[in-house]
Amino acid sequence: MARLPRKAIALLAVSALVAAACSSAAATASPTATPTPAATPTPAATPTPATSASASAPATAFKIGVVTDVGRVDDKNFNQYSYQGAKDAADALGASVSYLVPKDATEYASDIQQFVDQKTNVIVTVGFNLGNDTIKAAKANPDIWFVAVDVAPCVDATGAPDSTFACKGDAATLLPHLIGIQFQEDQAGYLAGMVAAAVSKTGVIGQLGGINSNPAVVRYMQGYELGAKAYKSSVTVDSGFFSTGDITKAYGDPVFGKTFSQQFISQKKVDVLFQVAGATGNGALDAACAAGIYAIGVDVDQYQSYPSADKCIVTSAEKHLASAVSQTIKAINAGTAKGGISKFNAANDGIGISAFQNTSVTLPSDLQGKLDAALAAMKAGTLTTCTAQCGTWTGK
Amino acid sequence: MTRRVIQSLAEPLAAIVLALLAGGIMIFLLSGLVPGRQPFDARLPIDAYGALVSGIVSFNGLTSTLVYSTPLILGGLGVAVGFKAGLFNIGGRGQFLMGSIASVAVISAIGGATGPWIAIPLALLAGALAGALAGFIPGFLKATSGAHEVVTTIMLNYILFYVSNWAIKGPLTLPRAPQPTTQDISELNGALYVLPFTRDLHIGVFIALLAVPIIWFVLYKTTLGFEIRSAGANPDAARYAGMKTRRLIVLTMSLSGLLMGLAGSVTLLGQVHQTSFGYDTGIGFDAITVALLASSNPIGVLFSGLLLGAMRAGSPAMQSQAGVPPDLINALQAIILLFLIVNVLRRVLARRRAGTSTPEPAALTAGKYSTESVQ
Amino acid sequence: MTQDGPGVPALEMRGMTKRYPGVVANDHIDLDVCPGEIHALLGENGAGKTTLMNVLYGLARPDEGQILLDGKPVQIASPADAIARGISMVHQHFMLVPVLSVADNVILGAETMANPIFLDRKQARRKIADLAGRFGFELDPEAKVASLSVGQQQRVEILKALYREARILVLDEPTAVLTPQETDEIFGLLRRLAADGRSIVFISHKLYEVLEIADRITVIRRGKVIGERRPAETTEEELAELMVGRAVELTADRGESHVGRPMLQIEGLRVADARHREIIPGLSLEVRAGEIVGVAGVAGNGQDELVESIVGMRTPQGGKVTLDGRDVTGLSPRKMNMAEVAYVPGDRHRFGLILAFPVYDNLVLTGYYSPPYSRSFLRDDQAIKSSAERQVEKFDIRTPSINVPAATLSGGNQQKVIVAREFDRPLKLLVLDQPTRGLDVGSIEFIHRQIIAKRDAGAAVLLVSAELDEVMEMSDRIAVMYRGRIVAEMDGRTADKSEVGLYMATGGREAAEATA
Repeated sequence: MARLPRKAIALLAVSALVAAACSSAAATASPTATPTPAATPTPAATPTPATSASASAPATAFKIGVVTDVGRVDDKNFNQYSYQGAKDAADALGASVSYLVPKDATEYASDIQQFVDQKTNVIVTVGFNLGNDTIKAAKANPDIWFVAVDVAPCVDATGAPDSTFACKGDAATLLPHLIGIQFQEDQAGYLAGMVAAAVSKTGVIGQLGGINSNPAVVRYMQGYELGAKAYKSSVTVDSGFFSTGDITKAYGDPVFGKTFSQQFISQKKVDVLFQVAGATGNGALDAACAAGIYAIGVDVDQYQSYPSADKCIVTSAEKHLASAVSQTIKAINAGTAKGGISKFNAANDGIGISAFQNTSVTLPSDLQGKLDAALAAMKAGTLTTCTAQCGTWTGK
Repeated sequence: MTRRVIQSLAEPLAAIVLALLAGGIMIFLLSGLVPGRQPFDARLPIDAYGALVSGIVSFNGLTSTLVYSTPLILGGLGVAVGFKAGLFNIGGRGQFLMGSIASVAVISAIGGATGPWIAIPLALLAGALAGALAGFIPGFLKATSGAHEVVTTIMLNYILFYVSNWAIKGPLTLPRAPQPTTQDISELNGALYVLPFTRDLHIGVFIALLAVPIIWFVLYKTTLGFEIRSAGANPDAARYAGMKTRRLIVLTMSLSGLLMGLAGSVTLLGQVHQTSFGYDTGIGFDAITVALLASSNPIGVLFSGLLLGAMRAGSPAMQSQAGVPPDLINALQAIILLFLIVNVLRRVLARRRAGTSTPEPAALTAGKYSTESVQ
Repeated sequence: MTQDGPGVPALEMRGMTKRYPGVVANDHIDLDVCPGEIHALLGENGAGKTTLMNVLYGLARPDEGQILLDGKPVQIASPADAIARGISMVHQHFMLVPVLSVADNVILGAETMANPIFLDRKQARRKIADLAGRFGFELDPEAKVASLSVGQQQRVEILKALYREARILVLDEPTAVLTPQETDEIFGLLRRLAADGRSIVFISHKLYEVLEIADRITVIRRGKVIGERRPAETTEEELAELMVGRAVELTADRGESHVGRPMLQIEGLRVADARHREIIPGLSLEVRAGEIVGVAGVAGNGQDELVESIVGMRTPQGGKVTLDGRDVTGLSPRKMNMAEVAYVPGDRHRFGLILAFPVYDNLVLTGYYSPPYSRSFLRDDQAIKSSAERQVEKFDIRTPSINVPAATLSGGNQQKVIVAREFDRPLKLLVLDQPTRGLDVGSIEFIHRQIIAKRDAGAAVLLVSAELDEVMEMSDRIAVMYRGRIVAEMDGRTADKSEVGLYMATGGREAAEATA
């Protein structure tokens, strides 16, 4: 669980921001930005006015473009941390990075096209919804690298998106410049489940997901249950979902999330609550705090990203999105990247749980040792962290 | 006659110029918030507008403008037709989704068997009819029980959003997809791209451009259009004149929904190709802006639809080239629209005042007449 | 200067000119009003009276001319300015807040503060009581305006003006909405105000009223002053001629009627209003071909409901309506229109016209759906416009063109649009609800002649009017309506006005017993 100190990330973010903006504003006019890895940002000179698009620049400037999903770029979630990863990579490589936030689903394809037109070297697209348009763009533009976050590219024999999801075509060979980033959420969930079982006093713990049809959500939850039982076999895990169809209620409605969670807590009498539900889940964190029980965050370190629930957050099950995106881009730049699915898990620091920052929580002394052992087993590939039907919810 | 045309164009053009100026000033004042920019950077508005223009004024930019304008024009016509009859159709979101979903359903059901030349016209037809049905419901409720269409259409938006979600998740979902998603119809829709040398110009663009004169003709040259306009301008007089106002409400809402459904259909077939769980767009609401900007005039809808389409087409360049954050772009677009709408409202109010004051002929023959009245 | 006594006029307007594109609304108008004088401004609708007063009240800026108050030239920039200078205007449409009390309405906009937070209601109330007592207003200051009659509301408006220390009071058609009794009361009040030394400008187009109340009468026509008269020196006929520009027949010569078969037969008609109260509890009436039956009655006795039930705008609860032997009970407005029934609605702005639409569209509002105006759902604009041109000519509709919105026409010409539309075809029955309400004499005369022409062509005419004079003048037969019943029927030639008035007011004891 080697993690960058929080402050350093923040600093990097700020410097990347400056570097990115400077370079994007003056990308064509100041070719001084060399592609060599630079620990310090490129000189923060005042933006020199871009006079004209010079033709000589593209050879040296490495350009990264990020198309987020609908919403905001600073959503403390997928959009933000994917972009963060792109910025980290750009900073390290002295590249330029810019992003586009589509207004709605009609803009996905044209926003990707926008970066294609700008002769961007790497285009990062965020989320399953952009998957198909990313595959199509990758097929049409074989010279450009595409990084599709949270997408398992599924293509037919011609390299086009396969609408039957038979996935007969080998994406890695048909579209050698398309990388789909996937996470093994069950591993992060497994670690979180261990923590939950360890801090529970009553032996009844709970977890709430956004929608049961989302495999990523389900993997987290399946891992959580296995991890909890592995730590203490007598523990009871109660599971629930915020919605079966309404995506807003599932991921975008903290007020609903809070009331729903309050009912769940009082009915099931859980004393630890894990949530996998975006902004709705933030409401669950609030509800846990209000009920005086422990909570476990998801995807990112919510102790940092959602400070209003700090007093009850024990840890968070993390996807190291920024790290994954950044690693991938660096590999592309270095020429070591390969097409196809790039799986991020414990072995390549793609998942983990957040450091224990909440000093009010007393942890069993054996916990850290067991966590380290579990993580080591995951890295070695010797620990089962998911059920047989991984990603498919079979519970009630 | 030409003077009147110039006059009628001068005001909106002046409003656009003022709006752009105001937007420029706003960007200037907020330039400190843009990464890498000094506070009060006078170059930022210039760079931003430069990027906006570069995103629009190129061959691909122009086709992209047309593509983005297409659903806005169709939807704007739908809202405008409602306004003409005094009906405020806020149900565009739901009607749009019904149009999309019905088209997806047709393509997935028969697309493989019949090929595009039969499936696509049928998909368009189904989309239009599904939208019409979604418009028919609030119209019927209003005609029979007096339930206000603003309330029912807003409620229907939610219902239809879930219906659409259900369809995406249920009968239309691809069996092995990792997340609920429908068939990608781009394999079939080659028939939609009639101009091979353009990247994204699809046949829906021509449907929208054709719909403008058709709707104008219906409104101003048919007895139905006369009834719609009468019911909107003075429902009591329409009833007095023997028009079946309830039937008109149902018909107009259906027509409004039909255009919205068509907007959803062409967007799906020509632009998005595939819906996944939670599919939704802002077009149902942007269409209201389009209709308001145009004072519900079909010809005006064409221009206001192109304007909003151009804004959509140009904003990625503003984001990626000038580094203007999307929030600031949204604020800029809002301020431009605000200026334009204030200008439109001012004209409407002036006309309304003229229409209701005690007739003093001199004051009113000032030659500002046009046959429309919003709402 | 023609004013009595010494001193300068309270108000003098010299050479007032106001141009609007295409029209000169006021063309060098001179007007002076002395202290204590009631000065009537007489003119047809659209003659420029209202424009002149808008200039005075600061609502419009004159292109030329000068306003003098007490001999001193002034500039009036806004209504607030006008009020500050002692000029107040009572509009046709009252500007009152219905949920507030009389006192609060009077104070509104001219509040005196007891301290920075609270109103000085006590002092205000004292002032109102004082004014009301002095001029005999008979108003309860605590009554809610919503509960007042139209006449009382008008008195509130005048009280408002006095509260603001108005010395010059402009009343725009103050009697248009009043009953004869209320008119008498307001005239008494105006005389008392004049006696107090205040100047009153009285705008009207009703000749007999002007002769009754005014000290001096200025007649304007098409933006110009045509003449100035004193009531003692003139007659209604002369004023009418000045106003219209030609000799006018003030009483329609309706000639002999040639009564034919029964055209409209109403038997036991029962009509309820929206709250299920039976407004018409069983009414029978017959109108024969070639006959004008006038329905007299105080407004609100079921006339609207009767008319609307006949033409299909309202569904009767019971009874039977027969047209030329055919049962037409409950038929739609469209079917009644097709059955050769003309209907001139009482509220022409609400029902009769679409003000925003051009004149030519209004001329086909009820006939647009069939040839020659349309064929298989397509409008024939050529036919519509050429028919409109013809009707504008035939019915003397004064409009700059057929393309302007109906809103731009004067009331009389708007009504002529409706009459042209409804009358210009073969008809069996004319249902006319207040066909000349609020119109100038020229238009009234014209419309009356059109009605008589239709009668002479063999149509049955049902004329409902709150103006007893009109019913008396036009009807071959008079039916008096009281609480939803016909309480008396009499011959139009021999009927006595006071007898009709008595039936209208009380229902007539015998008549009431007979129908009970």
